[in-house]
Amino acid sequence: MTPRKDLLDIESLTDGEIRHLLEAAVPFKALFSKSVKKVNDLAGRTVLTLFYEPSTRTRSSFEIAANRLSADVTHFQVATSAVAKGESVLDTVDTLQAMKTDYIIVRHQASGIPNLIARHTSASVLNAGDGAHAHPTQALLDGFTVRETLGEDLTGKRVVIVGDWLHSRVARSTAQLFRRMGLQVGVLGPATLIPRGLPGWLHPLASWDDLLSWQPEVIYLLRVQLERQQEQFFPSVGEYHRVYGLTEQRLRQVRDAGLWVMHPGPVNRGVELTDSVLAYERSLINRQVENGIAVRMAALAWLRPGTPFRGRLPH
Amino acid sequence: MNTDSNPSAPAARHWYRGGLVAAPGTREPQPLDLLVEDGVIVAAEADLVAAGAVPAGSAAGDPAGIEVIDCAGCILLPGLFDVHVHAREPGREDKETIATAGEAAINGGVTGMVLMPNTTPAIDNGGLVQAVMDIARSRCRIPVWTSGCITKERAGRELAGIAGMKAQGVVFLTDDGSPVENPRVLRRAMEYARDFGLFTASHCETMELSGAGAMNEGPTSFRLGVPGVPAISEEICLDRDIRLAQYTGTHVHIQHVTTARGMNTIRRFKEDGVSVSCEVAPHHLMFCDEDVGDFDTHYKMNPPLRTREDNEALLQGLIDGVFDVIATDHAPHTRYEKALDFVSAPFGITGLDTALVSLFDRFIRHGHLGWDVLVTRYADEPRRLLGFEPVRLAAGERAELVVFDPRRTTRFSEDFMRSKSINTPFLNHELQGRVTRVVFGRELLLDRMDAGLDHGGDGGGRP
Repeated sequence: MTPRKDLLDIESLTDGEIRHLLEAAVPFKALFSKSVKKVNDLAGRTVLTLFYEPSTRTRSSFEIAANRLSADVTHFQVATSAVAKGESVLDTVDTLQAMKTDYIIVRHQASGIPNLIARHTSASVLNAGDGAHAHPTQALLDGFTVRETLGEDLTGKRVVIVGDWLHSRVARSTAQLFRRMGLQVGVLGPATLIPRGLPGWLHPLASWDDLLSWQPEVIYLLRVQLERQQEQFFPSVGEYHRVYGLTEQRLRQVRDAGLWVMHPGPVNRGVELTDSVLAYERSLINRQVENGIAVRMAALAWLRPGTPFRGRLPH
Repeated sequence: MNTDSNPSAPAARHWYRGGLVAAPGTREPQPLDLLVEDGVIVAAEADLVAAGAVPAGSAAGDPAGIEVIDCAGCILLPGLFDVHVHAREPGREDKETIATAGEAAINGGVTGMVLMPNTTPAIDNGGLVQAVMDIARSRCRIPVWTSGCITKERAGRELAGIAGMKAQGVVFLTDDGSPVENPRVLRRAMEYARDFGLFTASHCETMELSGAGAMNEGPTSFRLGVPGVPAISEEICLDRDIRLAQYTGTHVHIQHVTTARGMNTIRRFKEDGVSVSCEVAPHHLMFCDEDVGDFDTHYKMNPPLRTREDNEALLQGLIDGVFDVIATDHAPHTRYEKALDFVSAPFGITGLDTALVSLFDRFIRHGHLGWDVLVTRYADEPRRLLGFEPVRLAAGERAELVVFDPRRTTRFSEDFMRSKSINTPFLNHELQGRVTRVVFGRELLLDRMDAGLDHGGDGGGRP
């Protein structure tokens, strides 16, 4: 499989590339049960994490993945408080270019920033989440987890993604990947959090009852991003939980039907799910975290930094 | 305007021979020879020799002392007029100046334009209008007018200095870039301005609905995860502003209409006899939100590019006469700003250098739009909107004309563009058609008739 320079979104990956990444993650995951979890794929390479949004989980996952590939990993501390627009981001990228960084793992609150960075550096750029645009490694770990759970032939199987689609890069990337793997994807959430322009291949669902009668194998709960909501999209958190959350009562139905539950984390207890979901035997939430490291190793090992650098746009 | 003797001024008599004139009423341009003497058209006939206006056998120019401009295969059209130009002066001369906007206009065959007042400071009083007009008169080679703000500092609260601006020659009022959010304020402005012979022009947007939107709300905004601006943001404000004009008995001009539904609202009000005019920008005819592609900031403007269906409906509306004028909304921005990420980059693209050629390339040459519509909507009606007489290519008129060669191409390289900014989707694209000569009275504003088929050639005429 010919390597690419950047991993920015799911859309630009071919079916073959998706298959390759999902399969390449398998041996990396097998490493985790060994006492020595390290391989040499990225020995001597420099990996840098550039996070403009606070994140401990995703950043740690990338750092562990890079470490297990024997890369030299550095976190580049940027101010996450001030809004760093494209201009100062590119200034930073110039700095990283001068430092001969091989891989830049970037998270930013504005959609499109990783695409912008990728055009201005010879380093490989991995999108670790940009605005409401894309989160490709989350999608890959979700796809890997579903494949591991339901098997390789997913044709016709169903998954419903529930919650805040409007602000969610996870929903966009993960839904796309699920579709590319042959799954049918359903959508449930308050109408105010379901954006305009949903593609026709998504199956809209009106309620939990509707969801259950659609008979999905997996229910994927999105995090209600309370911190992103400067305006009111639903009357109250309590009402959200009652209408759209995985409540105790719904968990019984879910258990009876043997459905799997996923969540990108971190969870809001009492909002998108009730506490006991975490102890549910078919919750895949912790397995998602573990698989995240494996697919990120696969992604890092596959990408190839560019060679001759053309330089940034002249001012 | 500079009317001093110009070293590159043409010889006294010019024979524009063998061209086809684009004019209202005839979809296909008709043969027309022009004889221009001291900047005035003295004869305009299908064949000047047959009409006896020039002696037979003078094809080589002399002996009659006539310089022949070979226009065979070329289109002659009146100088175009653009009622929506952001010249950025005062305040953002790094993006554009009134002088460079004037040169960009000439480059695109535009010989008159109206500036927008959303400068820094905003043009909201007579003194600033006077300052802008002084700059325009001393540094531009074409006549330039300016609009003035509706409200002080475009803040939407207090009326701007309307009488003072009128005294300095302001041609209409607009807070372009923003709507007047408070309808009571707009109502007062309409009523007050009426007695000064001024109308208001509306940038239609409902800010609560636009929010932080950076592109049209739809499948592409979903795909890119970019906040969307719904079409209703524009349509609700447009409807409101026309109703205010109807109620106050004033004229309102709706700027840069982008949606089929908004256009049809205007159509219905016009049918009801309401005094409303409107404009469409070339980019809203040609491009749609899908063209944003991979976060391309050269497709970010406000109001945003809408849908493919809207493109088609707006073009039909232009043909049907719903749109009174074509106007570019020429909006220069620095390279540095347009290199920002999509959400942070400013709204707007340049248009003066590219409008005519792009309209030819995309529509006229394919038969989707007639030359008559172009001349009506981009030369005649813009002038009528301001109460001016349209430019006529007829005997007794001042020569204000453009020679356009449909067989040649234009590559919109950085060198070709005369705007100080190059934020256009056509940057480095080669389009069919070329503005080869622009004349204003005695002045030859642009001449690349003989520049061959190479790109970016400019045979002079620049100061």
